[in-house]
Amino acid sequence: MTGLSTLFTELGPAAKAPAGLVPFRFREVGGDILLTNFLGDWLFVTKDEFRSLARGELDPASPLHERLASRSFLREGLDQAKAAERIAYKKRFLNWGPNLHIAVVTLRCNETCVYCHASRANMDAVHTDMTPEIGEKVVDLMLQSTSPSVTLEFQGGEPLANFPVMKHVIEYALARNRAYGKGLEFTMVSNLALMDEEKLAFLVDRKVQVCTSIDGPEHLHTKQRILAGGNAHREAVKWIERINKAYIDIGLDPTLYHVEALLTTTREALKYPKEIVDTYVGLGCRAIFLRPIDPFGFAGKTAQIVEYDRAAYHAFYRTAVEHILDLNRRGEQVLERYGSIFLTKILGDDDPNFLDIRNPSGSGIGALAYNYDGKIFSSDEGRMMYETGDPAFQIGDVFTSTYRSLMKHETVRALVMASIREAQPDCVNCTYTPYCGIQPEHSYRTQGTIFGRMRESTLCAVHKGIQDFLFDKLRENDPKTVEILRRWTTVRARTHFIHASSAS
Amino acid sequence: MSDMSFHLGEGSVRIEFDEDLYPKDAIYGAAYVFIDRCWVHLDRAGDRRIQVTLKAKKAGADTQAFVGEFQNELLGQTWRLRIVEENKKLIESITARALGGAAGPPGLDELLAMDIGEETAFEDPLGIAMSWEEKYKKKGKAEGTKAEAEGAGENASGGEKAS
Repeated sequence: MTGLSTLFTELGPAAKAPAGLVPFRFREVGGDILLTNFLGDWLFVTKDEFRSLARGELDPASPLHERLASRSFLREGLDQAKAAERIAYKKRFLNWGPNLHIAVVTLRCNETCVYCHASRANMDAVHTDMTPEIGEKVVDLMLQSTSPSVTLEFQGGEPLANFPVMKHVIEYALARNRAYGKGLEFTMVSNLALMDEEKLAFLVDRKVQVCTSIDGPEHLHTKQRILAGGNAHREAVKWIERINKAYIDIGLDPTLYHVEALLTTTREALKYPKEIVDTYVGLGCRAIFLRPIDPFGFAGKTAQIVEYDRAAYHAFYRTAVEHILDLNRRGEQVLERYGSIFLTKILGDDDPNFLDIRNPSGSGIGALAYNYDGKIFSSDEGRMMYETGDPAFQIGDVFTSTYRSLMKHETVRALVMASIREAQPDCVNCTYTPYCGIQPEHSYRTQGTIFGRMRESTLCAVHKGIQDFLFDKLRENDPKTVEILRRWTTVRARTHFIHASSAS
Repeated sequence: MSDMSFHLGEGSVRIEFDEDLYPKDAIYGAAYVFIDRCWVHLDRAGDRRIQVTLKAKKAGADTQAFVGEFQNELLGQTWRLRIVEENKKLIESITARALGGAAGPPGLDELLAMDIGEETAFEDPLGIAMSWEEKYKKKGKAEGTKAEAEGAGENASGGEKAS
């Protein structure tokens, strides 16, 4: 049989779907045809089987009929009530308001990075520090979210540069939450170079999760992240080890409780897929997020240096994940975050509520970003665009906005509607729609429209490439590999970090 | 004449096409995508011909690439209009559920912020406090006088304003 693209031309008027199939989408992956349906069920058929289906042929006594029935591709026997339950369960995030609240406590930063997304300011720009009063208003708004649990994420700049305010906001949130009883978590994204023992003791005591940036091996990290008068990599590594020891000292399981690190994949990083993975594993990280560079902040301006063709990214991704799989086969427990997110939807029949790969996206309804000056944005990316001159995603401020006015803001409504994949050209026919999601701010930044043109979207290309890779692994069906991929869908809750105060 | 043609100028490009090919909303939408980079002008070039002029705001822009991007965006906008029409109920349902779930019910602050003054506190636009006889007496008559009909009209008008 020739390629899929010529099949329907060959069949001409003879092409017809067999009676009784539910609507499905298809795509050629690794020589077979992948079918997916509206429930997120999937099935591989051979090209010959697909050719029969395209002729309208489906023998009720055939193994193919049985396989289609077992994966809810046949109307007959489809339990509609159960199907509705599954969809409602996977979309349950729609019942809640924003869980993630990002507070940019300062734009000041002690490091200079080639791809800085945060639009940093120099260390003497104290006017970019959030005040305690603004911090309190952030907490007041956050606690009004309809979400039963909320995470307050401190970002910068470098949040440790405005540690007194961060401390104040944490104490204020803990006190205020006694009246709300929400599951409350704190996260700090820091380069760690301004850490000291006193700050660490406070962060450990108040159960603040620490996340840092590691660009890979020292030579790569220090080339991309300049720490005046110091070595950015050594500082980060020193404090990762110290914090991990602090967790062990208070009796926490180091396989679950450790510093997480984030990678930003630049053009230079593409040369070192295995070295980057080994660096993370060497630091005790159990999750590696192979994020491609995004176009926000300074990265938009330095694109000529740090950007690259997405085919090059896919080659990097495949090499790195093959290496991660090899490490797993040798007993190392480490996962790739993109893979984990997609596989939870593909194999786990669930949605991990990762805001940027959600349908609709989490802009506004899943996350809010609060700038140091009190301005509120539908996402951190929206805030980054404001810092580089475009206020399109500002939806209010902490002084005048009420929580409901933010949720009912016309920009939030537009972002929801623009990110419903079933309403977008290309996505409407895409095999990966049940598992995918696009952040509308990315489309706006790169294409000038929150709806986006997916065939020209670098984000769409990344998501398609990763899902092609994952589905090809599932198609090959190597038992050990599938077992590892299934393990990536199991998220162990880090309950120690949740402040579960009961409302008084 | 071909369906679509373009003419490159100094830092600008003029695109012409048959207006029957694309809905007007799609043309507006596609042209709007360029306003951060271009001065955009829409005009009619002739009988059933639309002309879009994109003049780059910055020197050195690749105006020929604008043509391709405009055509792609135009197609995307047109197709999206059709998909949105076909999936209107789904979009409305997801959006309503998402915004309703996120916003939650109005709180005390919002009720306190409502404009309830001495003049408006006892307004009853829906006639909830009226007796059944008061509310429906005029409608109950098979034939009414002109004056009564005008009065009924005033009531209806008041209800619409309040709603």
